[in-house]
Parts: sequence; C-alpha cells; structure tokens
Amino acid sequence: MRWSRIRNSIRSTRGRRWALGYLKVLVIVAIFSSFLANDRPILASYAGEIRFPVFREIGEIFSGPRPYGDLPGRSWRKAETDWAVWPPVRYSAGELDFANNNYVSPFEEQKIETALERHWLGTDQLGRDTLAGLIRGCRIALLVGMVAMGIALLIGLLMGGLAGFFSNDGLRAHRHRAWSFAIGTVFGIIYLINNFLPYANGWSGWIKYPAAFIVFAGLLGLFQLLFGFPASFWPWWRKEISLPIDAIVLRIIELFNSFPTLILLIAVLPVIDSPTILTVMLVIGLIRWTGIARFVRAELLRIRQLPYIDAARISGFGQLRILFRHALPNALGPVVVALSFGVAGAILLEAYLSFLSIGLPEDQVSWGSLLQQSRAQPAAWWLAVFPGLAIFFTVLSLNVIGEAVR
Amino acid sequence: MLFMLKRLAVLLPVLWLLSVLVFGLSKWVDEDPVLRDITISAARSVDNDPAAYDRAYRQAAQRAGLDKPVFYLSFGSAAEPDTLSRIVRYEQRQVQLSLLRRFGNWPALQTYYNGVREIAYTRSDSVGIAALELLLRSDPARIEQKLAASPLPSPVQESWRALADRASPGLLLLPTLRWYGTDNQYHRWLTDVLSGELGISTLDRRPVEEKIWPALRWTALLNGIAIFLAYLISIPTGLYTAWYQGGRADRFFSLGFLLLFSLPAFWAATMLSSFLTTPAYGFDLFPTIGVGEVADGAGWWTYLTTRLHHLFLPVLCLTYPSLAFLTRQMREAARAEIGKDYVKTARMKGLGVHRVIWGHVFRNASFPIITLLASLLPALLAGSVLIEIIFNLPGMGRLLVDAARNSDWPVVMAITLLNGTLTVVGILLADLGYRLADPRVGKPTSAVANANPL
Repeated sequence: MRWSRIRNSIRSTRGRRWALGYLKVLVIVAIFSSFLANDRPILASYAGEIRFPVFREIGEIFSGPRPYGDLPGRSWRKAETDWAVWPPVRYSAGELDFANNNYVSPFEEQKIETALERHWLGTDQLGRDTLAGLIRGCRIALLVGMVAMGIALLIGLLMGGLAGFFSNDGLRAHRHRAWSFAIGTVFGIIYLINNFLPYANGWSGWIKYPAAFIVFAGLLGLFQLLFGFPASFWPWWRKEISLPIDAIVLRIIELFNSFPTLILLIAVLPVIDSPTILTVMLVIGLIRWTGIARFVRAELLRIRQLPYIDAARISGFGQLRILFRHALPNALGPVVVALSFGVAGAILLEAYLSFLSIGLPEDQVSWGSLLQQSRAQPAAWWLAVFPGLAIFFTVLSLNVIGEAVR
Repeated sequence: MLFMLKRLAVLLPVLWLLSVLVFGLSKWVDEDPVLRDITISAARSVDNDPAAYDRAYRQAAQRAGLDKPVFYLSFGSAAEPDTLSRIVRYEQRQVQLSLLRRFGNWPALQTYYNGVREIAYTRSDSVGIAALELLLRSDPARIEQKLAASPLPSPVQESWRALADRASPGLLLLPTLRWYGTDNQYHRWLTDVLSGELGISTLDRRPVEEKIWPALRWTALLNGIAIFLAYLISIPTGLYTAWYQGGRADRFFSLGFLLLFSLPAFWAATMLSSFLTTPAYGFDLFPTIGVGEVADGAGWWTYLTTRLHHLFLPVLCLTYPSLAFLTRQMREAARAEIGKDYVKTARMKGLGVHRVIWGHVFRNASFPIITLLASLLPALLAGSVLIEIIFNLPGMGRLLVDAARNSDWPVVMAITLLNGTLTVVGILLADLGYRLADPRVGKPTSAVANANPL
C-alpha cells in the first residue's frame, strides 16, 4: 500500500481527522508535559536575575550551566519573585499538597491563594493534583506504547521478514555449515552465560562485552573447523539443504500465542526486585511482536514473487540487501495497521498493569495508577472519570486510525 | 482423530515448556525458599544458637527436597562441584558461589569456608561472632580486612591464604555438562503435579487444590457465561449487519461496537462498581462484594436471583469487549461471503433472506470466529483477573494476584499451568471446530497454511 494512500485514508472522514488531531495533541502534551504542569515557574525574575526554573530536571540530567537557579529549602510557589510565568497547572505530578488533601473535588472550595492555583480536576487522598497526574501519565503511556512497540517492531520485522522473504526454500546452505553454525550458536550462548561471563565478572568496565563477542565468534569458527571441515569430506554432509525458516518462525509464533503471557506477567512481575518502566516496556515488546511478524510475513510472501525482486536478484544484489533495502520497505504499509493496534494494546496493558500496581515503580504516576486510587474512594468520581477517559480516547483514536488504514 | 493427535503432539511440548519456564522462574527469583518453612521456635534461635538454627534449616530444606539438583542436567564449569545443591543455606550458597567465581578452587574454598563455619557454630565469643559475619562476606578485600582485624585461629587464616594463593580461575572456562538423572527437584515437582498433587500453599499451609478448585469454579462460571453470551449475540448481529451493510442499523452497530471495543473493561468495571454499587451517588443497585450468600434451605428462585444480582455487572464487563470484537470479526467474514456468487444463486432460486444467511453464509463465514475461540479464552481469563479484583469475586485471577504478591509459588505455578492447559484446550477446540466447519482441514492435500494464517 502506498504511503500517500494511507495518509489519504486516514484523513478521509471527520472522525479519523479528529482521532489524528487528538493523537497529535497527546504527543505535544507528552513532550511538553514539564511546561504544562510543574511546581516551578517557566520563567521567573528572582532577586534581580531572570531564571528558568522549569529546566531544573533537565539541567540536573545534563549538568550543564544552571540558568534555572536553585531555591534551597523553599518552594517557588512561596518565593518572593518580582514576576513569574507559571505553567497552566501549577503542580507537579506526585507533589503533595497538604492544604488540599483528602479528595478535594474540582468544584469544591479549595484552600488556594489565587484562582490560578486551583486543582482543576481535584486531588487525591494525599493532595496530589489529578490534572498534573494526567499530563505526566500521558508521557508514560506514549513512552510505553512507542518503545514497547518499537521493540516489537524490531523483532517482528526481523522474524516476519526472514520467514516471508526466504520462506522454506530461500535460505540454502551446505549441510555441514548449517549444522556446525547451529550447534556453535547454541553452545556459544551457553558457554558465554555459564563460563565466560562468570570468569570475566571481575574485569573492569565494558571490555568484557567485546571480549565475549570475540569469544563467541571464535567458538563459531572452532566448530566450523573441528566439525564442519571434517564433515565436508562426506558427500551427505556436503549436500545443499534449505533451512525451513518459515516453518520455524511460524512455530515460534504459535508457541508465543499459546502461552498465557498475561497470566505469566502477573505471576512474575511482582517478584522482580526493582521494577522500572523499561522492564515493562521490554516485556510488553517481547510478547507483542507476533502480530507484526504475521503481517510482515504475509506481505513478504506476496512481494517475493514480484518481478522487481527477481530483477534485483539478477542484478547481483545480495539476499539480505534485497530483503532490507527492496522488499521490507514495501511491506511497511500493513505494518502500520498492526502497529497502531499494537500501540493501543500496549497502552492498555500498561494501564492494566499499573491498575494492578504491578510492574511500574510505586511513585510513578500513570493513568492506570490514578484510576486505581478511585477504588479506595468511590465518591471521588474525578479520579475514575478523567484517567479513564484519557485511556479510552487514546485507544479509540488508535483503533480508528488502524481501522482506516486497513 | 489422527489430526487431533498431531495437534496435541505440537501443543504438549508447549505445556512442558511452560512448566519448565514457571519452575525456572520460581528458582531464579532472588529469595530464600526455606525461610517460610522454618518453625518460629527454630527461627528464634538464629541469634543465640546458630548451630541449632542451621540444623532446623537443613531439615526444612530436606523436607522440601531443596537439597536435590534443580534440573536433570546442568551446564557449568569444571570449577563447580557436583554436589553444589547439597549446600542448602541460601545466603551461604550465594557467598560460596561468588567466591568460587573469583578463585575457581573449590577444595581450597571448602577448607576455608568449613573452617569459618566450624568456629561460627561452636564459639559464642567475639571470635564466633566475627566468624558468623565472615560467613556472609563475599568480597575478598572485606574478608582480608576482617581476618586482619579479628583474632581468628591460624588454620582459618592459613586456609584463606591458601585459597588466595592457589586460585585457579581458569577452571571456570572449562565447560562441563552434568547429568543428574531423575532425582531432581523439577522431576519431583512435575510428577507430583501430574499425579494431582499441587503442593501446599506457603501462605496459609492449605493444599493448593483446596484453594484452586472453588476459585476455578467461579472463574469458569463467569467466563463460560461471558463466552456463551458473546457468541449468542455477536453471531446474529454480525450476520445481519453484514447483510444489511450500509444501512442505518449497520452504521449504528459498527460505531457502537467500535466504541465498546475501545472502552477498557477495567475502567468500565471501576465506574460501574463506583456508581452502581455504592450509595455515594444514590444508585446503590447492585452488591459490591462477592458472589452472594444463599441459605441452605432457600429455593432455586432465591438462589438464581441472588447469583444474578451479584454476577450481573461482572459478567457484563467480561462480555462486552469480546462481544464487540466478535461481532466485528463476524461482520467482516460474512461481508466477504455475501459478495460471492453462491449467495446470489441461492437468492435467485427463491430462498428467503434468513435461509440464505443461516444455511449458506453462516457456515462459510464462521471460520474466523472459530479461530477466535482459541485466542479469546486466554484473553478472557486474563481479563477476568481485573474484573474479579474490582468486584471482589473469589475467582482464580484474584487468587493468582494475591499469591504472586506474596510469592506463594506453589499456587502461582499451579494457576499458571492450569491457565496454559486451558489455553491449549481452547486451541484444540478451535482446531476441532475448524474440522467441523470445513472437513478439508487436516487432510494431507489441503492447504491448511492458507486456511489458517495463524
């Protein structure tokens, strides 16, 4: 499918344009979330100098010059600035506001100094601002959705690409080479994990990883030399065989699909010592690649029959080059469908897990964790309605767009 | 029959792999599995009588079979001994392994470590305390510091020097494959599970079966009703909206089901349980907790209404996502069939709309919806985890989450395996359904790969 056609079909109806618009807004909110909800002003004149307090978090990461300035011991809200430009929401996600704790409703009277300090969407039991949490949750949701699906895309493209492009007859090798390569790979991985890495444990720095790679390559060569080379004198071993890569990949996909992955996730994630958002993204990516692989495989099975692939082959291009430079780029259209549903699924899964308070660190605010707080206090409707709406609209928009491309 | 056996031959290894994976994870987790099994009185002796504690610990570990090798075989290095599994004290094993990785000389390490242990368990003066600390030290620099600072007897000092001098880390590079036979932890656990003994919950010491069966009943009931309702509604809706596609009803249902499909079930459940089961908003229509108590003598009508009252919202929240999904799939499949010539022929020969839909289109369009059963079952089971938690139902999902949070591994492993089995059964049922819907499937010449794009 052509990209222009995909673009046109996404923009064809009003609903789809709304969906696209909503997603764009979401991305902008996610990127600029520090400027939208923060307990520091964006720009402030303090003690006669201009400061950018909002850059503090970023500045601490890069430890460059410090135009954001420090305000030890006091919050910017109470600081006597000459003037200050505040974000629309004057609270950070997770920031406690003791004056307005214990579930303050959006419409209730709040203990605030100016109307601009309102908790527009209320607070939770500890006085954390719901809107600030929503804005931070936006970043988490999109990050999880994109990174997890990025990982899934990488695995899916590779597996689906190999399976579809080579099918069961495309990847050929002499039997002795294939076997010594396969055995060498398996043995090499086991050797690295069980022998080499424990041995190199005391080595300083990163040097053990390139060393491990060299050891692995050496082992592959060794097997080729000790097993492959002698075997090549027998005609049976010298015969050319084709690797049934399509069948293998299909088996792996079936294996993944018949695993109760979610149940496994719920069982295993709580015991991981220090869960980070990266763990969750990695796990989601690792279990959600099969859909993409299936799409890519089906598309490549069609593409590999097309004349231009033959033309490329006759021109003398290598197999892998044809696969990655010529075949795969044309298979990306249908992947958009799988990707769009996949991102929706990943966002849902992250909300699901943080609703169960599994996976993400405790202090990480996300849509799911906000929603979960409403369970403790059913009367706090704002904690149930707004995060839920955010999840719903995001998933709906992604589904609408996936549907449009299909 | 042969076809089913073939499918089973593919799917049974999946279950085996799952069992290895779950068991491996339970072993990989960084926690001491014996600690819960030790009696309180023995646990109290940890400070004043380490030797007695050690004995109690060993006994508990032996009772649980933890002194056996973990698996049938192990890949390791020549530096490791065959008898590593006999060291049952968890922290001590970690320390010894870490030292072994550093020095690679097991006999010298044992001389040193046993010497320290001997002192730690027999002397209660400051030397004994220093030895107890040394037992948990794995950093050579810290050990040397400690040895220099405290007056441990000279044999220990010498054995440490011998270990440091005669280090042979090169042995670590020598790969060794060890075969332990069937006398291992995994084999023991697997045979127990296969003979129906799922073990004892570490949380409340009840047999796992006793905890799982009642929970399974509720989960099966909930999901059974949900699947039944979803198919019951989605098949006719999908068929008729496909037939009258583009009509007002079709557009209404399409939009409605797209919305429902995107509506996260756990949000809907949270909202329903907040708004309809609590007096906070004046709609206290349904009970909040559990499945309802029915007195023994009550008639079937009371029983039914009580259950219905309690299960209405959970079943609703479980049904609607699959319903939306199934309807859309059914509609897609039926739409593809309706364009074909045989439908036109059937209409032209005078068959009524309903006859055509149910007699011709339905059977041919039922293919994808049968496949979906295979993927629907695990999704439903996973989905019912949250529904059970939100509505406080005593089902398997809640049991699993509680068990996982408390590292109650026997329960976690049993539920995961049970889920895997159910998933596999779902896949088998779907295959069987294929076979019934299209007898060509499974025949050697047929293109199963085309019909079943996985």
